[in-house]
Amino acid sequence: MKPQPIIKDSYKYGFHKPESAVFKTPKGINREIVEAISYHKNEPDWMREFRLKSLAIFEAKTMPTWGADLSGINFADMYYYVSPTDRKVRSWNEVPKDIKDTYDRIGIPQAEQRFLAGVGAQYDSEVIYHNLKKQWEDQGVIFTDTDTALKKYPEIMKEYFGTVIPPEDNKFAALNSAVWSGGSFVYVPKGVQVTIPLQAYFRINAANMGQFERTLIIAEEGSFVHYVEGCTAPIYTTDSLHAAVVEIVVKKGARVRYTTIQNWSDNVYNLVTKRMFVEEEGVGEWIDGNIGSKVTMKYPSVYLKGKGAKGEVLSLAFAGKGQYQDAGGKAFHLAPYTTSTITSKSVSVAGGRTSYRGMVFVNRGSKGSKSFVRCDALLLDDLSRSDTYPTNTVNEEDVTLGHEASVSKIGEAQLFYLMSRGLSEAQASSLIVNGFIEPIVKEIPLEYAVELNRLIELSMEGSVG
Amino acid sequence: MNRHPGKQRASRILRATDSGQARMTINNMKNVIIKENETLVLPILWTGEESEISYEVLLSGQGASVAILGLLLGKDDAALQIKINVTHAAKNTKSEVILKGALTDAAKVNFEGLVKINHGATGTNAWLAAHLLLLSDKSKGRAIPSLEILENDIKAGHATTVGRINDIEMFYLMSRGLSREQAKQFVVQGFLASILEKFPREFQQKAKKNVRLS
Repeated sequence: MKPQPIIKDSYKYGFHKPESAVFKTPKGINREIVEAISYHKNEPDWMREFRLKSLAIFEAKTMPTWGADLSGINFADMYYYVSPTDRKVRSWNEVPKDIKDTYDRIGIPQAEQRFLAGVGAQYDSEVIYHNLKKQWEDQGVIFTDTDTALKKYPEIMKEYFGTVIPPEDNKFAALNSAVWSGGSFVYVPKGVQVTIPLQAYFRINAANMGQFERTLIIAEEGSFVHYVEGCTAPIYTTDSLHAAVVEIVVKKGARVRYTTIQNWSDNVYNLVTKRMFVEEEGVGEWIDGNIGSKVTMKYPSVYLKGKGAKGEVLSLAFAGKGQYQDAGGKAFHLAPYTTSTITSKSVSVAGGRTSYRGMVFVNRGSKGSKSFVRCDALLLDDLSRSDTYPTNTVNEEDVTLGHEASVSKIGEAQLFYLMSRGLSEAQASSLIVNGFIEPIVKEIPLEYAVELNRLIELSMEGSVG
Repeated sequence: MNRHPGKQRASRILRATDSGQARMTINNMKNVIIKENETLVLPILWTGEESEISYEVLLSGQGASVAILGLLLGKDDAALQIKINVTHAAKNTKSEVILKGALTDAAKVNFEGLVKINHGATGTNAWLAAHLLLLSDKSKGRAIPSLEILENDIKAGHATTVGRINDIEMFYLMSRGLSREQAKQFVVQGFLASILEKFPREFQQKAKKNVRLS
């Protein structure tokens, strides 16, 4: 009898890497799984303890009772960790047609398309990345993934990790703290100005696309960095939950700008906690664009902890068919002479729902603080919905706080004007929408802005008229 | 299009705080339904007695209109929880909710407003505003003016300001020889005047007296 081969030829299943051990935790979440993740990553004890503590908090916390309906999330039916090299590489044929069409329409190169769709294991920009990397390293800037940072820079990690967003913050922050993997780690030394934006995009490893990524950015005194996460092209994933945590520490006189454009495919629950601590005279800026996902709940916040600190949130939400974008921003004034600005622009079309949920809190003693919140919503048809839930709390007399909001449809006069110049209704509408979101788009890097405009044009087609 | 139906419109004024019917007790949400072409003006004058005021207003018929005008004067340790929900359930309905408050000592106001525009309530016009003036460093203000909009052929907006007395106005008055206290009185009265003017006449007198006292 012919002996049966012990290891079958796995060629027909696609891409195979013999040198890496396959590691994937079983479905569901419990103590053993969290311990297994930590063991597999060979983490120090304090991190294992942190994960286990977070798991207990996750189990004790209830789901949020407000906002979107999250009953579709089944925590037991999910994989919490797949080591990056073993991420299932799917075939191009499995990628839905509408996603492929979108790539073509917004002009994404083929190699990049494959990466975004989870087909290619690596995105071919290694050369660019390495050149930039050298430049950063010469300045002493650390830009790596969070797992590597834990091994190479344990002191910095231990000092800051989980201090901006403790696991007790909310259920999803606790979940992330228990099972986190991947994400970016950025450390900018005192006085260093990083002129080229750091893009997560360049950091070529699949971990970057993780479900439970954990990002930590520390900008020392007087430094500046602009970090760009995500991209305008739709990211296709079969994972149904994306629960990231982003922690940023802005030291005295430093400035950090964090730009995200999120365009997950429409099966994803995107529940992200983002927070920045801004010390004396520091500046913290969030530019947050939400275009994709089924449900997004994300409220980037600035904690203005030092005198004269400044925070800014620019939020853009676009909800199409079946989407619910619950986005906004929060500013906590905890020191005198702090200022914050929150600008939100939302567009709802074809039955989509956008909500602005915001919070401005001025603590007693934060004298001379100023805050201004402006949210504008555009409703394109009578199937869509737009909500505004702003909370303004002031416990100090010497404060200026203003909030304004408007909800409108596309003006007949504007539409008529453009159409009388020969544009179709869809073209005219997308032009008006692009004009509406312009104040936010002009703040994001050019290549993203171009893609974003094309994407909006694309989403508007067939949804108007 | 019947936003100004003129003579046919029945108008009524509901008094919030000067008659027994509207004295609020804790956990008592008052329900008001406004029918076709009806207009309701609802003045609220709060001088610290009630701890909770809540209204649930339903604009149920075409052309229904409501104006809720709140003048809130808080001193000592008066605290108010004020909740106003307005639902637009018919076409061409109009709502205007304006609250203005001046708080001294350790007074506290917590305002939660929600204007909901149902699907099909086209031609709706909604305005929700809360302006709180904090006159002492122990006074506290919280405002959550929310909107839920399920119809696009509408106009809706809201505005909030919470903050201190305007320095420039104070400086101007004091440079004309007024004492700080006098100047403060004028600025506060000026701030509250815009809402006082909208009050029904007989109600105005009573309210004015209170403004002067504060």
